[in-house]
Amino acid sequence: MTKRQTRLFFLGSTLLFAVIFIGLTLDTHRQITALTHAEQLTPEVLAGKRVWHEKNCTNCHTLLGEGAYYAPDLTKIADQRGAAYLSQFLKNPSTFYSEEKDRRLMPNLNLGDEQIRQLIAFLTWVSHIDTDGWPPRPLLVSGTFPGARTVRAGQEAVSNDPVALGEALFRQSPPACSGCHSTAEGVQLVGPSLAGIATRAAERLKDPAYRGQAKTAEEYIRESILAPSLFVVPGATFAAAGRSFMPDNFDRLLQANQIDQLVAYLMTLK
Amino acid sequence: MRFKSQRVAYYYFVVAVLLYALQIALGLLSAAKYLGPDPLLHILPFDKTKEIHTNLLIVWVLTGFMGAAYYVVPEESRTEIYSEKLAYGQLIAWTLMGLTTVTGYVFGWTAGNKLLEQPFPMKLVIVVVMLAFLFNIGMTIRKAGRWTTTEGVLVAGLVSAALLYLPALIDFDNYTVGVFYRWWTVHLWVEGVWELIQGGLLAFLLIRLSGADREVMEKWLYVIVGLTFISGILGTAHHYYWIGVPKYWVAFGGFFSALEPLSFFGMAVYAYSALRRSGLSHPNRLALHWTIGSAVYSALGAGILGLAHTWPAVNKWTHGTLITAMHGHMAFFGAYVMIVLAMITYAMPGLIGRDEEKSSALGMWAFWLQVFGMFGMTMAFATAGIVQTYLEHIMSIGYLDTQHKLAVHFIMLIATGSLFAVGVLLFLLDFFFVMVSPRAGVRTTAREGAAPWSPAAAAEAGK
Repeated sequence: MTKRQTRLFFLGSTLLFAVIFIGLTLDTHRQITALTHAEQLTPEVLAGKRVWHEKNCTNCHTLLGEGAYYAPDLTKIADQRGAAYLSQFLKNPSTFYSEEKDRRLMPNLNLGDEQIRQLIAFLTWVSHIDTDGWPPRPLLVSGTFPGARTVRAGQEAVSNDPVALGEALFRQSPPACSGCHSTAEGVQLVGPSLAGIATRAAERLKDPAYRGQAKTAEEYIRESILAPSLFVVPGATFAAAGRSFMPDNFDRLLQANQIDQLVAYLMTLK
Repeated sequence: MRFKSQRVAYYYFVVAVLLYALQIALGLLSAAKYLGPDPLLHILPFDKTKEIHTNLLIVWVLTGFMGAAYYVVPEESRTEIYSEKLAYGQLIAWTLMGLTTVTGYVFGWTAGNKLLEQPFPMKLVIVVVMLAFLFNIGMTIRKAGRWTTTEGVLVAGLVSAALLYLPALIDFDNYTVGVFYRWWTVHLWVEGVWELIQGGLLAFLLIRLSGADREVMEKWLYVIVGLTFISGILGTAHHYYWIGVPKYWVAFGGFFSALEPLSFFGMAVYAYSALRRSGLSHPNRLALHWTIGSAVYSALGAGILGLAHTWPAVNKWTHGTLITAMHGHMAFFGAYVMIVLAMITYAMPGLIGRDEEKSSALGMWAFWLQVFGMFGMTMAFATAGIVQTYLEHIMSIGYLDTQHKLAVHFIMLIATGSLFAVGVLLFLLDFFFVMVSPRAGVRTTAREGAAPWSPAAAAEAGK
């Protein structure tokens, strides 16, 4: 090989691969609107994106797995936590986490109500981006499940038994129930522990604070999934101003039979 | 130093090493925050220290590249720099830009876009300074009417680096589109055109340190930078796996990322075979160490550790963990920090007018402490990243609980990072105090006619 030939190799291959790269880029632009639901980029979402950048969120958190590794990934956080919880959290993170216990704390960004709404709108939009199945398993902010079986997202349960299907669904995202609720006695995550929920549900019906229509424990659990604020479990990280932090969009995220399965599973927690 | 105007490089190197020290201080501070709790939470939280840490890296490495170019181009084109004044003015504007930017970060003035956090007005200053720099270099080459492949590759890298910064000026409404083009700058810099700069500087140093035949070295330089672009351009795709773009990027990313180590291995073999003829006999052993170090560490850090997590089936689990920090630290240090330090240690004796090319024991300590410190930090990030991948991403254990379990690795990170910092401190001591003061620069004539070492002189003569 002469120097002339190697120069040709350098220039030729660079040109070739640059052309391919630009071609793929053009095709990407053609498809990206559908993959990211770009039609949902409302002024509120765009304002939220500006808040995201102004507050330098990406230098602690990751979004789509990109950013810094000092704080949890937020790609699916809007799905996992819901707007009510997130807005309460953003108002003052130190009500939810303590520096002594967790070693890390998010500083209060002093966001106004409108900025918080915009930021959540942006994170909700991000959670709908088609990420080709990433993250493959739900990424939780906190909580451990000693001895718990992890279930691949979308993987079927070992049998078609509704309880087994419900248990598998409980650990999948969405609905990411296990991101906030443990099933172990006394293990409080963001939401109340669901240990013994089937027994407790029957008692709740008699509670004067209960405002729902359920007549049986089973109906109560179903109602709590779809309309979480009808009974609010007391707790600083559970609710504010009578409104539960639990997302109220499960009727859209899940199919009717999936809710049946979840109820069947939760009814076994006596 | 054969041309008087090459001395501007000295001042670029001064700025570069000072910012380097500041970068490491902020790095250590960030590492301590991983362990927590953080007493500075409300004054200087992690996002700011991390942002300053990475931005200072970019600023000082580019300062080093520009200084190196002002040293290499006159020597290769055999002429004085077109405008020394412009070179100094550009350095002042660049340094002010860098300091204003990082001071702004402390007060929350940021664009909040990873690695491209510079606020828009600062981005404009960067573009203007880069244009002034390229103009000066271009006019120097034009004035000489002669250029070599080595400097050609170096300058091509610098021109492309400036061009690829342009997408960073645009604010995209769609976050995914923004991420897509952010990698045009960041990826195509570090795994594309910066490698041209590294390759050009490596060739320059090897030709001088080993006395290898220029024709052969430049022939292979083309092969190496050709491989860089074959793998690097479409290798951008390994950043596109999970961001909401079409699925074919996964296939392209997997295949071309697997080729990326080739060019880094090419560089390591290149350095090895050049030095096999002369051994480590060049009197500037320090420059020799940094040069070989760069070739070896970039093969390890950028080549192997990059490949360790770019395969899609692996990246699916490691994406967004400290595994990225593992690769990032050794890759940046090996490919770019070490090559700039190699250039500095090579050029310094000439720049300060010292006749003999000797390296001090202090300089060697600085080298080995940084090498071992960085190795330890990489291992600390690697073990932390592997544990994080398993616990958080595979077992679905909460992020905060996982971080708790990583404490021992963060202690390792701080310990080895401190060793590294001592190495940087020694480098600065060597640079400012052990090597003679810059005012001795008037003695440049002493070296002009003299041939200090025969193979290098032979290489010069053979040009």
